[in-house]
Amino acid sequence: MTEATVKSSAAEQRRPLLQRYRTEPGSYDELLGADGRVRPNYETLIRGLEELGPDELKRRAETCRRLVHEQGITYNVYGDPLGMERPWQLDPVPFILGAEEWRKIEAGLIQRAQLLNRIMADCYGPQELIRSSWLPPALVFAQPDFLRPLHGSQPGETCFLHFYAADLARSPDGRWWVISDRTQIPTGTGYTLADRLVTSRILPEAFREGGVRRLAGFYRDAQAMLSELAPRRTDRPRVVLLTPGPFNETYFEQAYLARYLGYSLCEGQDLTVRDDRVFLKTLSGLEPVDVILRRVDDDFCDPLELRNESMLGVPGLVEAVRAGNVTVANALGGGLFQSPAFMAFLPGLCRHVLGEEMKLPSVATWWCGQKSAESYVAEHLDELFVKPAFRSRLRGVDPSAALTAAAREELLRQIRFQPHRWVAQEKVELSAAPSWSGEGLVSRPVALRVYLVATPDGYRVMPGGLARVAPDAGGRFISMQRGGAAKDTWILSDGPVEDVTLLSVAGQEVELRRVGNNLPSRLADNYFWLGRYAERTDATARLLRATLLRFSPESTGHAFPLLEPLLNTLVAQGQLPATEDQPELRTNAEALEAGLLAAIFDPSRAGSLRSLAGQLQRLGMLVRDRSSNDLWRVLRQLDDRLATPTSSLVMLAGDAIGVLNQSLLQLASFHGLARENMTRAQGWRFLDMGGRLERAIYLCSLLNAALHSPEADNPSVLEAVLDVADSSITYRTRYNLMPNMAAVYDLVLLDDTNPRSLLFQFNQLVKHFEKLPRERENALPSAGQRVLIECVTRLRLLDPRPINRLRSRWHESDVGRVLAETLRDLPRLSDAIAVNYFAHSTISRSR
Amino acid sequence: MRFQIVHRTRYAYASPVRESFNEIRLKPVTNEHQTVESFLLKILPPSRLRHYEDFYKNVVHHFEIPEPHTSVLVEALTTVSTRSIALPLDATPAALSRLPECDRTERCFDYLLPSRYVEWDPEAWRLAVDSTQGTADIWQAAVAVMRFIHGSFRYTPLSTHVHTHMRQVIQQRQGVCQDFAHVMLGLCRSLKIPALYVSGYLATESASATHAWIEVFVPDVGWRGLDPTHNCAVDENYVKIAVGRDYADVTPVSGHYKGTLDRRMEVTVDIRRAE
Repeated sequence: MTEATVKSSAAEQRRPLLQRYRTEPGSYDELLGADGRVRPNYETLIRGLEELGPDELKRRAETCRRLVHEQGITYNVYGDPLGMERPWQLDPVPFILGAEEWRKIEAGLIQRAQLLNRIMADCYGPQELIRSSWLPPALVFAQPDFLRPLHGSQPGETCFLHFYAADLARSPDGRWWVISDRTQIPTGTGYTLADRLVTSRILPEAFREGGVRRLAGFYRDAQAMLSELAPRRTDRPRVVLLTPGPFNETYFEQAYLARYLGYSLCEGQDLTVRDDRVFLKTLSGLEPVDVILRRVDDDFCDPLELRNESMLGVPGLVEAVRAGNVTVANALGGGLFQSPAFMAFLPGLCRHVLGEEMKLPSVATWWCGQKSAESYVAEHLDELFVKPAFRSRLRGVDPSAALTAAAREELLRQIRFQPHRWVAQEKVELSAAPSWSGEGLVSRPVALRVYLVATPDGYRVMPGGLARVAPDAGGRFISMQRGGAAKDTWILSDGPVEDVTLLSVAGQEVELRRVGNNLPSRLADNYFWLGRYAERTDATARLLRATLLRFSPESTGHAFPLLEPLLNTLVAQGQLPATEDQPELRTNAEALEAGLLAAIFDPSRAGSLRSLAGQLQRLGMLVRDRSSNDLWRVLRQLDDRLATPTSSLVMLAGDAIGVLNQSLLQLASFHGLARENMTRAQGWRFLDMGGRLERAIYLCSLLNAALHSPEADNPSVLEAVLDVADSSITYRTRYNLMPNMAAVYDLVLLDDTNPRSLLFQFNQLVKHFEKLPRERENALPSAGQRVLIECVTRLRLLDPRPINRLRSRWHESDVGRVLAETLRDLPRLSDAIAVNYFAHSTISRSR
Repeated sequence: MRFQIVHRTRYAYASPVRESFNEIRLKPVTNEHQTVESFLLKILPPSRLRHYEDFYKNVVHHFEIPEPHTSVLVEALTTVSTRSIALPLDATPAALSRLPECDRTERCFDYLLPSRYVEWDPEAWRLAVDSTQGTADIWQAAVAVMRFIHGSFRYTPLSTHVHTHMRQVIQQRQGVCQDFAHVMLGLCRSLKIPALYVSGYLATESASATHAWIEVFVPDVGWRGLDPTHNCAVDENYVKIAVGRDYADVTPVSGHYKGTLDRRMEVTVDIRRAE
């Protein structure tokens, strides 16, 4: 370094924002040039950040974290039950590339995508490249990812690689290299979009002034391309996004993309094949599917022809593809080309197939299936990163640790035994990019994933991408699974920034619709349970609040009988352990208090309010692509609220009542949002039916427990009933006297103007049933309708007045009998709904 | 020789099953060894059949039964005429030194690699080397391997099942025709002799089921069959249905359905000489 550069570098480091910024010797620095000055592409951002000042920066970083949390941007970690739904780590400082540099990357990746597509079409078609020795047979045939049933399944001119992503790294000399190819399921386009929305919101000034290119065009191209792929000529092709389900690592982005692009999010069991055509199972029957955007791995897509133990696929899918009735994007079998071994052959293939030199190099690669490469690798074992060439159970070498003599011997032995199964690559020195440390900017190793989509006019590159930084300086590998963070990527425009949106083009004729795409049965199932859990959570919170309000730690033994009906209901619904298991709950005030607090906060107890809120959030996730963001946010806040006192349950009953009140308000906003914002379509119908059914169950359970209590006519028991049933005010305005048994039971059971009464729930259910598809096809009522008719009739014929004449054994009265029968019938009703509308979710078996 | 073959497979389920999707490999191929004169496939409950040619040029039929059903019948009626293209057991058509040529033939490559039920393993390699000592010819090496297997493995019905791996058969030294074929594939492949699995019928066999044997690749000659179960070269009494890397590629009937696991399968094969 010359005298002059040291000085100017020191000058930059006097800028407070860059005080902690240290360049990594021997690697390229994205922020500071060799002269120590901020590179032009970062100039606007850095100036912008400086203008904001340190306090404002901290505040924005905090906003960034909060937005990620509130929008529920998460990813799942496999094999870690507590690791489900880790919050996505987003570094608020974007990664920035200039227009000139980007054009080179674009050209290189377009060429690479074209090349890979041609190789793919050849390997799954004529195999000329193998016959003419441009590709060694072992590279294709020895790979478990070469799917023989797909060979010859599609005409040669078909596009195989609809989406492609490349992972790029910049070497110390400033050149970009491809370090891996994603040809099967290029993940991350959803996260990239989510990152952009957050980052552009927290740094709006820099985003506007910097001339950052917009991402929406990429997604619009993707939409147009997918519609174009429909084999059936139709004005509205149905595209579905096939997901492996909520336990998949990137489920968040699958749901997010499905929503953004307007596609149904389907699991394998939502689809079925009839006569070589794929259909979506919906509430009103089977609907044809034209294009499947898949997130399920190649070999899991069809248990019939591919991997027969797969529970994620659609039996018969491959045959439907072969028949040309459905298009799967990316084409099945693309996993083959993710093998790093291909990189060793790309330069030669590029000359042979495209007649061009590679514009963007790959990281240096040696495939041991070639004799010369094998001996080179054996001689340079320590300098290289040796890994399995194909997907297999073989273990690669930990590149960060030095090889022991024994491990070295073993590795050499394995390579000699099956050389074609091993590949070696040069160790990559990543460049370093500015990253937010909490105080200022620091430099962190960075890698960039860039996405391409095949449009009818050729491949297009998303002007942006998913940049990832390592958690520490000097790292060579970045993985979101191991604590890395993502960054938004800004590509600067040297012209005006095009403004694009995903909404349809203005001026186009639109066919007006009053119904959306038909609801998949599995989603109806999820809505139904979402409704049930929302109501269960609500009823549990009310019950616990009523109990805590009537309980004081000074209570002596004689107060317990009055609590009995509430406690029994809590036992029946799973919030408290059975009396036999913990008899002290009924005699010892302290034990009871602890028990009640556990019923609220203990996540390990299945029926606790905390667990219910967790379930509710999980169900909310399953319908996320179909419901408003606010709905999801409310569920998230509810879960957070109950998760607060984590370490101990040392809390006063008074605090707990506060938490319960807040939870009830959250639930009220959930119900309000559902009522005010959801169209009265099938999803809402099932949500409401679930809620009605659950409310009926709780009410019956409570009233049944009250009638079994020896104090059933005690005014404080009756008041508790009114309280839990949220009917105290109505009662007081109507009767203006001490609770009277017949009047109370009439109000909560039979008054069809009281939205909390049992009859009201049944009346609503009857109305919903009439609007359900397929309920009117038969002359006789369906199983569900039969149960409803019985319940409603019993209630309508019930006269509650005689109960006032009893002095004990109230549960043997007519009211008691009707309650017991209704309690018995409610599960039958739930089963009838499940059998009629969700039944296809039975388990698949292979023979 | 001309044969008429009736091959029936029946599944019976304890309770109704539905959404059944099936793949069938029952139509014999036509080649220099045999000519299929007629082939009729019957499915009950009646279903539409489609077919395609798989990677190994076998004919695969597909059918689906979406409605609930308690049994499935698959019946294949074949008339086929055969002629022997067998190599004499003492022939010496190609020296072992020509094996590296095979490595570069694209249709051979698949048959040199490990597959679902066959692997390269040191034990198999040792057995192969021991049993072929002194041979200098590809066909002679394959014949020696066949003789070794026929002599050292016991044919024991029910000692294995359809998913038994070659490794286990070598360990227990007994099995049925499928296992004998898998072991022979493993030994040949470890000597770098391309070897494929054949499923088919043997007309002289009294047992009413399908048979399995193997073929090895002989440069300038082509694929030729050897039957380790009967210790002989494949002649006009053999009818070839399908080929693949091992049993997994040629399963006659396979499928996927929703419903009970409680089911019975019954297979009968009836072969008659026709004039």
